Amino acid sequence: MITLALDTATPSPSLAVLRDGVALAARTLSPAQGAGRRVAQEIHDLLTSSGIRVRDVGEIVVGVGPGGFTGLRIGIATALGLGQALGIPVRGVASIEALALGIVACAPAGTIVAPVIDAKRQEVFAAAYRSDGDGGLQTVIEPHATSAAGLVERLDGVATPASPVYMAGDGLHRLMEVVTSAIVAMPEDSPAHHIDAVVLARRARTGGARPVSPLYLRLPDAEVTRIRAARQAAAGTARA
Amino acid sequence: MSAGLILAIETSCDETAASVVVGRAIRSNVVATQAELHTPYGGVVPEVAARHHLGTVNAVIDEALARADVTLDDIERIAVTHRPGLIGALLVGVATAKAIAYAADKPLVMVDHLHGHICAAWLEPVALDPPFVSLVASGGHTRLDVVHDYAAPRLLGQTRDDAAGEAVDKGARLLGLGYPGGPALERLAVDGDPAAFAFPVGLAGRGQRDFSYAGVKTALLYTVRDLGDDMYMRLADLAASYQEAVMRPLADRLVDAAVEHGVPAVALGGGVAANGRLRTLVAERAAAHDLRVAVPARELCTDNAAMIGAAAQFTPAIPWPDYLALDAIATAPPGGIAA
Ligand SMILES: [Zn+2]
Repeated sequence: MITLALDTATPSPSLAVLRDGVALAARTLSPAQGAGRRVAQEIHDLLTSSGIRVRDVGEIVVGVGPGGFTGLRIGIATALGLGQALGIPVRGVASIEALALGIVACAPAGTIVAPVIDAKRQEVFAAAYRSDGDGGLQTVIEPHATSAAGLVERLDGVATPASPVYMAGDGLHRLMEVVTSAIVAMPEDSPAHHIDAVVLARRARTGGARPVSPLYLRLPDAEVTRIRAARQAAAGTARA
Repeated sequence: MSAGLILAIETSCDETAASVVVGRAIRSNVVATQAELHTPYGGVVPEVAARHHLGTVNAVIDEALARADVTLDDIERIAVTHRPGLIGALLVGVATAKAIAYAADKPLVMVDHLHGHICAAWLEPVALDPPFVSLVASGGHTRLDVVHDYAAPRLLGQTRDDAAGEAVDKGARLLGLGYPGGPALERLAVDGDPAAFAFPVGLAGRGQRDFSYAGVKTALLYTVRDLGDDMYMRLADLAASYQEAVMRPLADRLVDAAVEHGVPAVALGGGVAANGRLRTLVAERAAAHDLRVAVPARELCTDNAAMIGAAAQFTPAIPWPDYLALDAIATAPPGGIAA
């Protein structure tokens, strides 16, 4: 069984081709604005270099975020289009869980890991997990969009100097000021900062599969504005 | 031009659409409209549109194939709108189409949305042959093209500011008719006098073929302000006069262009083609010059994928897998159609 895995939640999309769970080839694109748009060509290049024809692919695993909305949609639309035309299953995996497993692989055993994905607007998409030591993850903090200060507040009580939380991901640059002895940033050159599509594919096989629908974790701006206006109108009516 | 089956996909604005066409025949034409989703916001919200396209496009494609009673194996090429439009919305259709074409080993045709609107008249039963002058007017576009060859429409003029449909919606809002207020404004106008108020007609510069609706809109704004509460007694007249100022230049310039270029027909396309007053004005003026008036069915004037399948037959197909690096583009190419 050939698996094609792809993740476009961040500006560094990751792709992998696996046979029966063993990676044949993988690549992570260098970070670039709009990198998701290159993913179709990259899939073809990766398959070709692996000697695999697209019609030999038997399943697709795709990262569903959270992350950049446009990038996510391109990756998911590509995965669903391939799946539709090939008549094969497409499974979703939370990109942030794949990022967490990458940190688990680099951090001391038994610690809590906190993956952070840049969410722009001074925010990150963040979560925290405890590794079960068996490739699984226990959720400590559900994925959410947050400011740096907000995340530190959530981690307070979870992270102590005796058992620090290990943090990595492309959102880390928004958190450098809040890194403390209880919150350890993985070294800059650590592979833990990048989502690895091989890990994504494995996560799908170990209980991490979920519906192929983006984890936006944020409402469209227009919806936020509309809700705010409706609330103000309601408050105005109540006062009147 | 071969007569193979084409699967066409359109996601440039707020309609998720797929269609199967073969030559001039439409085998299926499926449109999942999001219009109601956007009503609370008073306009199309790009992020809301993109989210909805992603959740809908695969099912719409399945439905188009099923209604045409074909499978992907029967399809010769895939076609998709790649410009112009809301970029987040376009990208969903383009990524989907590229993936399907790639996996199914088919060529892909990247179609200009406006080219699609023009080519709607080529489809049966209208089946208009060139030469003719085309007017495409909707909430997003207003343009005039002379068509001697469906492969290369020549742009004669377009709007400098608002699209005609947009101008109608904005006028409707000024009259308190909500969003989208076009249909309500048209209903109201039926009982009004189009000559009651002298609004400047939506033209820009004598001798040119461009349109401009900023002046008409401003004139309505001032009139409404001056009338105050009396506005409500004059709503029908205001609606009729405003509608006239938007529609008359469209009809005039369409027919004038046909006469000037010596073509025997004019065609209407885009959502505004459903406007009864525009149809009447065009019919009257065209009759005076013995011009044929071609108006595709309403569902082929509003955004749909059958028209994209039509334009795909006048656009070079890109062989597998050369299209994988190609992308969606938000803007129209300067001066016309990307064919
Ligand atoms: Zn349109």
